[in-house]
Amino acid sequence: MSTHGNPIPLDEPVVVVIGSGAGGGTVAHDLATEGVKVVVLEAGPYLTADDYTNDEWPAFNQMAWLDMRTTSGSYRVARDFPNLPAWIVKAVGGTTTHWAGATPRFMAHEFAARSTYGEVEGANLLDWPITLEDLEPWYDRAEKAMGSSHRHGRPPMPANNNYTVFANGAERAGYRYYATGPYATNAEPYDGRPATVQDGFNFQGDKSGAKWSTLVREIPRALESGNAELRPLCQAVGITHGSDGRADAVEYLDADGNLHRQAARAVCVAGNSIETPRLLLMSDSPSHPDGLANSSGQVGRNYMRHLTGSAYARFEQPVRMYRGETMAGIIADEAVHDPSRGFVGGYYMETLSLGPAFLASFIEPGSWGREFTRLMDAYANTAGMWLVGEDMPQESNRITLDPDVTDQWGLPAPHVHFDDHPNDIAMRRHAYRAADTVYRAAGAVGVHHTPPYPATHNLGTCRMAADAADGPLNEWGQAHDVPNLFVADGSVMTTGGAANPTLTIVALAMRQADHVRELLRTGEL
Amino acid sequence: MADKDSATIKRDTSSALRGGPATLTPRQRQILVRVLRLAYPHDSFPDGPYERTADAVVEATADDRRLAATLGPDLDMLDTISDGDFLGASDETATLLLREYADEPYFRQIRGVAVVALYDDREVWELLGYEGPSFDQGGYLHRGFDDLDWLPEARITEYDGEPRTELRDVEEQR
Ligand SMILES: Cc1cc2nc3c(=O)[nH]c(=O)nc-3n(C[C@H](O)[C@H](O)[C@H](O)COP(=O)(O)OP(=O)(O)OC[C@H]3O[C@@H](n4cnc5c(N)ncnc54)[C@H](O)[C@@H]3O)c2cc1C
Repeated sequence: MSTHGNPIPLDEPVVVVIGSGAGGGTVAHDLATEGVKVVVLEAGPYLTADDYTNDEWPAFNQMAWLDMRTTSGSYRVARDFPNLPAWIVKAVGGTTTHWAGATPRFMAHEFAARSTYGEVEGANLLDWPITLEDLEPWYDRAEKAMGSSHRHGRPPMPANNNYTVFANGAERAGYRYYATGPYATNAEPYDGRPATVQDGFNFQGDKSGAKWSTLVREIPRALESGNAELRPLCQAVGITHGSDGRADAVEYLDADGNLHRQAARAVCVAGNSIETPRLLLMSDSPSHPDGLANSSGQVGRNYMRHLTGSAYARFEQPVRMYRGETMAGIIADEAVHDPSRGFVGGYYMETLSLGPAFLASFIEPGSWGREFTRLMDAYANTAGMWLVGEDMPQESNRITLDPDVTDQWGLPAPHVHFDDHPNDIAMRRHAYRAADTVYRAAGAVGVHHTPPYPATHNLGTCRMAADAADGPLNEWGQAHDVPNLFVADGSVMTTGGAANPTLTIVALAMRQADHVRELLRTGEL
Repeated sequence: MADKDSATIKRDTSSALRGGPATLTPRQRQILVRVLRLAYPHDSFPDGPYERTADAVVEATADDRRLAATLGPDLDMLDTISDGDFLGASDETATLLLREYADEPYFRQIRGVAVVALYDDREVWELLGYEGPSFDQGGYLHRGFDDLDWLPEARITEYDGEPRTELRDVEEQR
């Protein structure tokens, strides 16, 4: 078994972090660099810039989480991609290795969704246990760590061709709040990393290092601190607890399927919103019959994946959207709560580009014939945008353990059930119309509306709630039922907001790490 | 979980379904290539990409014994329903026949493989005007990431006027 950093014995109770992505990588960094011993278990391999490839399918197959998953529900993904509900990376750095880099903050009212939106039928809305004001200091820290453009003196990204179409359309359509960011990739060298070369392969793993990820920043620094050991190809399969009700170890499988047990002083789960609830559900015990820390019954529920949808517009002249940064373009004018539009919450429009290999699979899944090939024939003249907005948490949208299907280890596969809420559908319709308006204003000859892809934003399945009956975690991402158990990934989100989630995941993880250090100092952990 | 589609969902990650790839007669192979051209018609594409895509389809049948066994007979069927000569039918007629078969598992599986293989083909990328890997050439920083000249330059900084109103008219509408 190859490990990295300073070896830590299996029987030494340390903080065990499960997952090395946005949340886990950040917690591990913030603890280890402040002198706290940490073992990081990562299910995927340790791949770095040289391993990455500028080629969509090989890159996807190299790094995506492709273990068995099943789906159901009325959303199209269950039909088009029944075994691929989400695009999540299984590698050191987690999905931050494939992310684009858009880093808007949540708006104040999005932390109070229930009180702002009121009762929405079928939605399980709840106010967050914290406010924007509470999180602001950590938002500042996160933006600096991630090097968000347009923030704290970081310059804006330059405009690529896709943005020039998008922004001209926005201006002509009467929108004002557009820019090339905030976007966590270096426009100029920063934090020991170079400026972007605009290669256009954010989604395949960035070979230059200009893009922030926990792989290039948090993980190496945690390892250099001497206080962390990273064990790649080690998948946590159970969290055990003692008779005192505290988590005492994490059981995991190495690459050969051998079971190990790492003693734990505290456990921080950050496996993203499908694997995190799966692990808690698999960690049931006589005192936690419905899964660890699940007295609320909410573990796995309220799964959110953001509105999503894309628009691809065809022009008479070349765009070459694939050249340059994939998502350095945001229109925020519709990211407002304005019930007169017929739905609650808001959405962003963001530039997006796929190569022909991915575009063919995702632009209109299942479609064929001339109606399909005319979209592909227009490739060089196509501009693309993504629509990302707040979707409604619903109790029945949930991750469960599939009773019939197992993964390669013989463990129950996670099953993802998702139905769109009427609010999601109304918002998506509005967003497609807004995309039409922007692109027509820029001269488009046609705009195609692409349905949601496998989820890149996976949220809400272990939500924070002031009251233990409403969700498994308190405001620190700490389990109400198990005081030394924490969750630090997107599953902690009480509601989803409109913003891409990663900045918020990182800010919350930093805040949690500060709290853990305080609890360690006072002897509570 | 009642609404799972039993025809397409993969229920098993084991290799139990694996076997050898389908062996097609020359006629079946020609039918397959025609199916691919009709399913993904691009006037600018030569035969090469479709031939390579047919290879990929055949190769993929090795993952699924049932498909490997039925692909040939299913392709024969297209001859049968077009008066013995699918290859001789007009594009229009042949496409209509395929529309009838759109939801047949074999045709769905062919499309599932083909849509990936065809558009992952280097020659196809060139035909569509996509340039492929770029990092080794220094990205597009000096190779046209911002060369669009048919629209004016756009602002890249954030709007510096009034901040946006995040909550609109909520009070009045309550
Ligand atoms: C193509 C793409 C583009 C994106 N663009 C943006 C963007 O522009 N802006 C934005 O904000 N977000 C973006 N995202 C989303 C962003 O990547 C995620 O929000 C973020 O990475 C989630 O962080 P996380 O900590 O929850 O999980 P992840 O980053 O997914 O990390 C989870 C890690 O845990 C590991 N793991 C899981 N289970 C176990 C286990 N049992 N044992 C050990 N390890 C385990 C996984 O292998 C993985 O490495 C994008 C995502 C994708 C796929």
